[in-house]
Amino acid sequence: MSLLEVKSLQKIYTTRFGGNQVQALSNVSFSVENGEYLAIMGESGSGKTTLLNILASLDKPTGGEVFLDGNNIVKIKDSEISAFRRDNLGFVFQDFNLLDTFSIQDNIFLPLVLSQKPYEEMNKRLKPLSKKLGIDEILAKYPYEISGGQKQRTAVARALITNPKLILADEPTGALDSKAAMNLLKIFSEINEAGQTILMVTHSIAAASHAKRVLFIKDGEIYNQIYRGSMNNDEMYQKISMTLTVLATGGVKGE
Amino acid sequence: MNKIFYPKLALTNLKKNADTYVPYILTCIGSIIAFYTMISFYGNKGLDEMPGSINLKTILFLGTIVIGIFSTIFLFYTNSFLIKRRKKELGLYSILGMEKKHIARVLFYETVVVTIVSLTLGLLGGILIGKLLYLLLLKLLHFTTPIQFYIDGRGLLITAGIFLAIFFLTLLTNFLQVKMANPINLLKGGEQGEKEPKSSWIVTLFGIISLGIGYGIALTVKSPIEAILLFFVAVIFVIIGTYALFTSGSIALLKVLKKNKSFYYQSRNFISVSGMIYRMKQNAVGLANICILSTMVLVTISTTVSLYVGQENMMRDQYHFDMLFVGENTGNDEALVDESIQKTAEQTGVNPIDQINLRLGNLTAFLEGDHFMPDLVAKEDKDTNYYTTKTDVWLIPLEDYNKMSDTATALNENEVMIFSVGDNYNQKTMTFGDRSFSVKENLQTFPLNNKKTELVGKTCYIIVKDEGVIADIQNNLYPDNTSKSLLFGKFFNLEGNDETKLAFSENVFQQVEGINPDIDKASYYVSLTEWYSIFGGFLFLGVFLGTLFMMATVLIIYFKQISEGYEDRDRFEIMQKVGMDKAEVKKTIGKQILMVFFLPLAGATIHVAFAFRVMAKMLAAFRLTDTGLILICTIVVTLIYALIYALVYWWTAKAYYKLVK
Repeated sequence: MSLLEVKSLQKIYTTRFGGNQVQALSNVSFSVENGEYLAIMGESGSGKTTLLNILASLDKPTGGEVFLDGNNIVKIKDSEISAFRRDNLGFVFQDFNLLDTFSIQDNIFLPLVLSQKPYEEMNKRLKPLSKKLGIDEILAKYPYEISGGQKQRTAVARALITNPKLILADEPTGALDSKAAMNLLKIFSEINEAGQTILMVTHSIAAASHAKRVLFIKDGEIYNQIYRGSMNNDEMYQKISMTLTVLATGGVKGE
Repeated sequence: MNKIFYPKLALTNLKKNADTYVPYILTCIGSIIAFYTMISFYGNKGLDEMPGSINLKTILFLGTIVIGIFSTIFLFYTNSFLIKRRKKELGLYSILGMEKKHIARVLFYETVVVTIVSLTLGLLGGILIGKLLYLLLLKLLHFTTPIQFYIDGRGLLITAGIFLAIFFLTLLTNFLQVKMANPINLLKGGEQGEKEPKSSWIVTLFGIISLGIGYGIALTVKSPIEAILLFFVAVIFVIIGTYALFTSGSIALLKVLKKNKSFYYQSRNFISVSGMIYRMKQNAVGLANICILSTMVLVTISTTVSLYVGQENMMRDQYHFDMLFVGENTGNDEALVDESIQKTAEQTGVNPIDQINLRLGNLTAFLEGDHFMPDLVAKEDKDTNYYTTKTDVWLIPLEDYNKMSDTATALNENEVMIFSVGDNYNQKTMTFGDRSFSVKENLQTFPLNNKKTELVGKTCYIIVKDEGVIADIQNNLYPDNTSKSLLFGKFFNLEGNDETKLAFSENVFQQVEGINPDIDKASYYVSLTEWYSIFGGFLFLGVFLGTLFMMATVLIIYFKQISEGYEDRDRFEIMQKVGMDKAEVKKTIGKQILMVFFLPLAGATIHVAFAFRVMAKMLAAFRLTDTGLILICTIVVTLIYALIYALVYWWTAKAYYKLVK
C-alpha cells in the first residue's frame, strides 16, 4: 500500500459573497510510496499550494479523498487534526516560520513539547539530528541571529524531530541564496537516502532536479510526470526544463 | 489638484487608521477638556467670594500645572506609538515615489485635522463639561450661593495655545522620524529584530532593595510630620523599585523558570514562559507606568475621599467647643466681647450654651524630664523641629477648674494637677525654674479638650492653687519677660440651625476684631466652611486627576493590546502550522495577556497596602485619625478601580481578539 494516496481531489473556492467560483484543483490523483522523494512543479496559480494545504490538513477539499498510511485525513475531526498533523507530518516552509520568541533549540523542540515528550527524550533526538544538519553550534541562538540557510535547516530539524511519516516542503529554497539552497537540497537527498519520504512543492528546477519523481500541475490537474530512473541531476534538470517549456507553450496533456 | 491631494490623502489615512487614531483624538479631546476645566476654575472670579478661596485656588493652580505636564507627556507617548505603527505605510509611500517633503506634507495635514477636531471638540466639551463640573465642585464645597458660570476667554486662549504648541512639537518629532529613516527602515520599522531581553541581576537586586526601602519607610513612619516629609522619599524609592522590577526582575524570574527544564518543557509552560519574556521586554515600561499611575489614582482618591467623608468628625476633635475667645485680662475687653455675643445672640436667635469662662495663664516651654525649660528660641529660628518639640502650657486656677468641671478638689501651694493631651505626664513632680510642685493627679478628662494626640508639639493644662501661683510660675520661668498677664477664656457651644450658627460666628468675629484684634478667636462653623473648601477642593482635584490618570491607563492598555495583537497574529499562525490547535493557542495567548495586564493592578494594590500606614499618618496630620474609615474608603476605592480596570481589559481584549483572528 502506498504511504500517501490522493484520489480525485477537487477544490473550489467561492468568493465571499458567493459570486465567482474558482476551481483551484479539478481532479488530482496520485500516490506516494514509502521512501519516495516527490517534487510537484507548476506555475503560480496552478493549484500546487492548495494541494499542499490539503495534504497538510490545513484546508479541506471540496471533493475527493486523501489517505495517509490508510487514514483518510479529510475525515479527521477538527479536534484531533492538530495532534494528527504533529505526529505524522513534518513541515518546511518557504519563510521558515520560526518563532522569534524561542531559541533554535526550543523551536526544534516545539512539536515534541506539544506532544508532551519528556526532556531527556527530546534531547536524545536532537543531538544526532542537529549534528547532521550542522546546526549543533547555534542551538542557543535566536532566529534573528542566524542566516537564512541556518534558519531553514532549523525548520528541517523541527520537521524531522517528530519522526514524521511524510515531510511536506513548500518552496523550501525560495528564500535562500544558491549556496544555501544547494546545501539544503543535499540535506534533503541525504535524509531521503536514509528512508524519509519527502513531498516538495517548488518552482525551482534545481530543487526539483534532486527529486526522484517530478509531478507537473497545470490549471488544477496533473499534467505530466517524470521519473528520474537512472538519470543524474543534470540530465534530470534538462528534462524538467524541457517539460516546463512545453507546459508553458501549451503542449498537449500526457505527452 | 495638487492642493487638494495632500489634505485628501491625510483624511484617508486618518480614516484607515481609525483603530488607533480615534482613541488618540479622544485622548487629545480629554486632555483639552481637563486642562480647560481646571484653568477656567482657576480664573473663576465667583470662587473668590468663597471663604478659604485662596487655598482652593492654590489647589486648582497646582492641578492645572499637573494636567499640563501630564497631557504633554501622554500625548507624546501616544503619538510615538502611532507613528511607529505607521512606519510601514510611510515607507510604502516613499517607495511609491513620494519624497520626504511630500510625506511631511501629508503628516502636516494629518496633524492639522487632528488639531482642528481636538481643539474644537475639546474646547466645546470643556465649556459644557466645565459647567457641569463647576456645579459639582460647588456642591462638594458646600457653597450654595449661585455664582454665574461664564466662559473663560483667557482660559480658552491659554488652552488653545498650549495644545497648539504640543501638537506642533509632536509634528516636529514625526518629521524628525521620517527624516532620519530611509524607506527600507520605514518599511521594516514595525518588525525590527527583537533581541533576547537581558536581565540584570544587579538591576533586579537594586529594584528589590529600592522597593524594600520604600516599603520600609512606609511601614516605620511614626509621626504625621514624618509621614509628610518622608512620603515623597518613599514614593521615589517605590517608583524606582517598580521600574527596576518590572523591567529586569520579571525577566530574571522568567529566566529562572526557563532554566528549570522539567518545568519549562511542558506544553502548558513552554509557550507561556518564552512568550512572557518577550511581552515583558516590550511592555515592561508601559506596565510599570500603568502600575504607578494606578497607585497614584488609588492613593489620591482614597485619601481625598477619606478626608472629605471624615472632615466633620475631625473638625469636632479639633474644636471641642463651637466657639472660643482668649484675650488679655486687662481693660474691659471681656465685658465688650460678652456684650457683643449677647447682642448678636438676640439678633440671630442663636443661643450660646455650655458656656465656660475662666482665667488662665499661657506659656510655651520645653519639657525635659520634669523640668519645664524656658523657650528662648528667636522668632526666625522657629523651624519644624521647634514646633514639634515645644509644649504649650495652660495654667488654670483651681477655683475655675472646680467650677467648670463641677468638682471640689483642694490643692496646696506646691501641688498641681495636670491634663496632658496625648501621652500622660509621667513624672511625680514638675519644676519651673526654681519652683517645684508635686503632681497630685493626672487627669484623664478635661472640659476644654480631648485626649487625642496633637499633630504638632504638645499641649498640657496644669491646674494650680490660684492666680498667684500662675504669676509665680511665669516669673520663675521668664524672669525678664514683662508681659506676664493673666488671660480670660470663653468657651461655648451654639444652639440654632447651622446657617445662623455660621452667621452668628462670623458676625461676632467681626465685632471682636473691632474690640481688640489681639483676641484669639475660633469657631467650629467658620473653620468647617473653610475646610470644606479645602477638602472639597482636594476631593474634586483628586477625583478629577484620578479620572484623568485612569483615562491614561485605559489608553495605554488599549494601545498595548493593539500592538500585541498585530505581533501575535503571525505567531498565532506559525503555532497552528506546527501543530497546535486553535483553541489551545487562544487559551495560551489569553492567559498571557491576562497575566500581563493584571500584573500592574496587582502591583498597585500591593503598593497601596504598604502605603496605607503612611496615608493614615498623613491624614492624621489633618487630624483625621479614624483608621477604620480610611481603611473602608481605601478598600471601596480599590474595588471600584479594579472593576473599571477589568471592564477596560475586557473591552480591549475584544479588540485584540478581533486582530488575531
